[in-house]
Amino acid sequence: MANVTFPFPFPDHLFALMPEIFVAVIAMALLLFDLFIDKDKKAITAYIAIATSVMAAVLSVQAMMPTSVSAFYGFFVLDHFAVLAKVLICVGTAFGMILSIDYMKKEANIGEYYVLMLFSMLGMMLMVSATNFIIMYLGLELMALCVYVLVGYQRDVLRSNEAALKYFILGALSSCMLLYGITFFYGVTGSFDFATIGTALADVDANAHTAVMLGMVFIIAGLGFKVSMAPFHMWTPDAYEGAPTPVTAFMSIAPKVAGFAIFIRILVDAMPSLQHEYTTILTGMAVLTMAIGNLAAIAQRNIKRLLAYSTIGHVGFIMLGLIAANADGYAGVMVYMAIYLFMNMGVFAIIILMRRDGIQGELLDDFAGLSRVRPGYALAMGLLMFSLAGIPFLGGFWAKYVVFMAAVEAGHLYLVLYALLFSAVGAFYYIRVVKYIYFDEEKVAFNFTDSRLMQATIVLMTIATVALGIYPDPLIDLCKQAVVGLI
Amino acid sequence: MDLNNVLDFPILSLGIFLPTLGALFIWLFVSGDKAVRWAALIVSVATFVATLPLALMFDKTTSHMQFEELHPWIATFNVNYQLGVDGISMPFVILTSLLTIICIVSAWECIQTRVKEYMIAFLVLETTLIGVFCALDAILFYFFWEAMLIPMYLIIGVWGGKNRVYATLKFFLYTLAGSVLMLVAVLAMYYKAGHTFSILAFMDYPFDFTWQFWIWIAFFIAFAVKVPMWPVHTWLPDAHTEAPTAGSVILAGILLKMGAYGFLRFSVPMLPDASQYFVPLMVVLSLIAIVYISFVAMMQTDMKRLIAYSSIAHMGFVTLGTFMFTQVAMEGALFGMISHGFVAGALFLCVGVMYDRLHTRDIIAYGGVANVMPVFAVVVMFFAMANVGLPGASSFVAEIMVLVGTFDGAAVAQANMPISLKWVAIIAAISLVLSACYTLWMYKRVIFGAVNKDSVAAMKDMTMREFGYFVPLIALVVWLGIYPLPVLDLMHESIIHLVAQATTSKLDAAAALAQAAPMLDAVHH
Repeated sequence: MANVTFPFPFPDHLFALMPEIFVAVIAMALLLFDLFIDKDKKAITAYIAIATSVMAAVLSVQAMMPTSVSAFYGFFVLDHFAVLAKVLICVGTAFGMILSIDYMKKEANIGEYYVLMLFSMLGMMLMVSATNFIIMYLGLELMALCVYVLVGYQRDVLRSNEAALKYFILGALSSCMLLYGITFFYGVTGSFDFATIGTALADVDANAHTAVMLGMVFIIAGLGFKVSMAPFHMWTPDAYEGAPTPVTAFMSIAPKVAGFAIFIRILVDAMPSLQHEYTTILTGMAVLTMAIGNLAAIAQRNIKRLLAYSTIGHVGFIMLGLIAANADGYAGVMVYMAIYLFMNMGVFAIIILMRRDGIQGELLDDFAGLSRVRPGYALAMGLLMFSLAGIPFLGGFWAKYVVFMAAVEAGHLYLVLYALLFSAVGAFYYIRVVKYIYFDEEKVAFNFTDSRLMQATIVLMTIATVALGIYPDPLIDLCKQAVVGLI
Repeated sequence: MDLNNVLDFPILSLGIFLPTLGALFIWLFVSGDKAVRWAALIVSVATFVATLPLALMFDKTTSHMQFEELHPWIATFNVNYQLGVDGISMPFVILTSLLTIICIVSAWECIQTRVKEYMIAFLVLETTLIGVFCALDAILFYFFWEAMLIPMYLIIGVWGGKNRVYATLKFFLYTLAGSVLMLVAVLAMYYKAGHTFSILAFMDYPFDFTWQFWIWIAFFIAFAVKVPMWPVHTWLPDAHTEAPTAGSVILAGILLKMGAYGFLRFSVPMLPDASQYFVPLMVVLSLIAIVYISFVAMMQTDMKRLIAYSSIAHMGFVTLGTFMFTQVAMEGALFGMISHGFVAGALFLCVGVMYDRLHTRDIIAYGGVANVMPVFAVVVMFFAMANVGLPGASSFVAEIMVLVGTFDGAAVAQANMPISLKWVAIIAAISLVLSACYTLWMYKRVIFGAVNKDSVAAMKDMTMREFGYFVPLIALVVWLGIYPLPVLDLMHESIIHLVAQATTSKLDAAAALAQAAPMLDAVHH
């Protein structure tokens, strides 16, 4: 690892941090700039924010070095893994913003909305580059606080407020748990640095065993909350349902990418000696997560709630990559997140389009007969649903395949069997959505306000899902290379 | 390298993807129901023509895979796009492309809503079906096997009967639950057999008995659901009843064969010891399918349901023949699948012809159809007789081969059986009587008798188009019934090879490998 020393050559540190600095500067400037824009021209802030996100992704790739760079006394690392995660986060945020443009048009203070998204993205970017619990926590909180506000952005909508409050209280609790866990590790090892903790834990005093275990459990619980692992998933359905739909789309992707990325980094760097223990805990949680996510989704009538449980189910599958604890598993997590990004953004784009004539368009019944009125949307939604169900020639199949493969490789054949059985259970509620779209008669009139931007998003996401389903090799290869430096 | 590979033209890829490309073309550029129908017909005929060289240029003297194609697909996991056919899979490719034409013609008038989507779904379905039979990579096989669910789900669900939602969900979930186990088995084999997904490598790799045992069970569940075997057959009558006519044809003609093909391609050659071990199980389940399901068929009041149960009974013959490990029985099983594809397909088309006129499938709604539709009555009579297994029809050849092969079953098949296989053959032979009972009884109730319903009296005889799609089926059934040799010839070498694989134990090699394994591991690390 090329360790850049302070104070000279100083610019290198900043160079490594350039994408984050860029985002921070633009976000703050945008906040001011927003004051001078007319009310009916607020959309321009959205375009600036989208451009910033895309630019941040480009800058992240630009800042990447052939080897990983560790800056600011090893507080901040820029390796391929972090860059991959940042690109996914930025792309996810950009699409979250694109989906917001029409949806949030009538909301007040829309300029701040995009700024909050940018800050949240900044938090995530910091988080995935953290090699230290302090930086990680700062990033995490920056992200989380922004997302709490975003969830409650529709001030006059009761459920939005309720969701935000629930999310905030439970989120604060989970942050406490995380901090509590970190203090145990600090107490035992005297460090916040992942790698130092990792080395210290390898030959820790037998007396400290309980403290180490407690620390591990609390850290897993705190992080597990952020990525909706059962039994810390309770907030997910409420927050997903109550949040404005674009925010739901955003928080179903970007924070999950960041959460899993930092989860991987902590497991690899700080807890290698606890592999046996954390695999056991994660296995139990994964078993629970898959069951809860896939079973509870069956009973849902609201598609946002359904997708919340679907996310929990997918998180259960993704956890197999963590449990495998090998390069293929970590690469599989990233592949999964990338494919999941395309699928979910497409699905949420369609859900947003379903809001019409004063109805939210979030009930499954509202989708009935879609294929007769809008065969294009119906086809996209159908393909994305089949993809989420993991049926081949669509991306979702390979997403599952890579993590399952890694888990088999690591010897967790029974867990894979269990996961596959639950993916068959999960298929039920996805194809039931297809049933509403294709088999049922129209129940509520469809009066779409079409938006070219949304349509383009849907087309792009669907094509990406199909293309990745037919030829996923480049993506898998990319993710595999990104994790090479990690382990 | 075989002679036909010198041509170096990817015939199999063409056969697989031509329908999808055609579907894409139709989706983008063709509009108007009439134009869509013709375009779909042209695409399906073109696909049939494209697959014909497989039969014409097939090298009968070898059991090797032919027309092979091999390209890396997902290099990181050693998944290859590997295609090839032998005497076992090639007939199915032709069968698929032929039946698809008939399906498209049969849907000409009875599908009036969303014609374009229907044709696209059917052409995509054809891609996945041909793909299944050509795939030589287990993941590619699974890929097509599962992808098939999407168009089939839509075909039954959108164009099906009243209870279609229930039927299609049941069909989807049964099949999916079965096939995820197959994926587990494939992943386990990948792990065990040295990081490859090649079906041919799996056939060669000596799995020890424990592995064979569990992998066999996983495959068994996947394939048994698809065949379907008793007791996981309940999705089939529902799916058949609710599916549109062409859906039933393709379901009976091809989809059911995928399960049996799976046994022939995976279970038997890869896991010979487990296959021998499970002979009693297969025999019992096959006999239940043959005898018990025949009785169930007799009691049906819905024509499509009756034929669906008759299909399960006939597939019982196929699974029985497959696990006898003799050349005659296995060829009989394979031949039975092809024959059943034509006969059951034709019977569903017959029901479809009547359904188009009266919009009911209840047997009691008919009666005396022969008086108003004489030509049709003859056609139905022909296929009813073929279903019974009358000499001269292709199904007779298949059934007699399976029975003879069972009577004279291989020693390895007999070894685990508590009773003589001769008794098994005798019990199975009962079904010849039973199938005559349910088929002819239905025939009597529907076709014969006096016309005492106005609705029946108003029925018109078949149109030329309807008659047209029966002609090739009649010709094929008679041809295969009287002179089956050309088709059997294609299978001989592959079946002989399969019998050799099935009767050769892998356990010795597995033991030897286990001894050498520590050394191999040392080399690897």
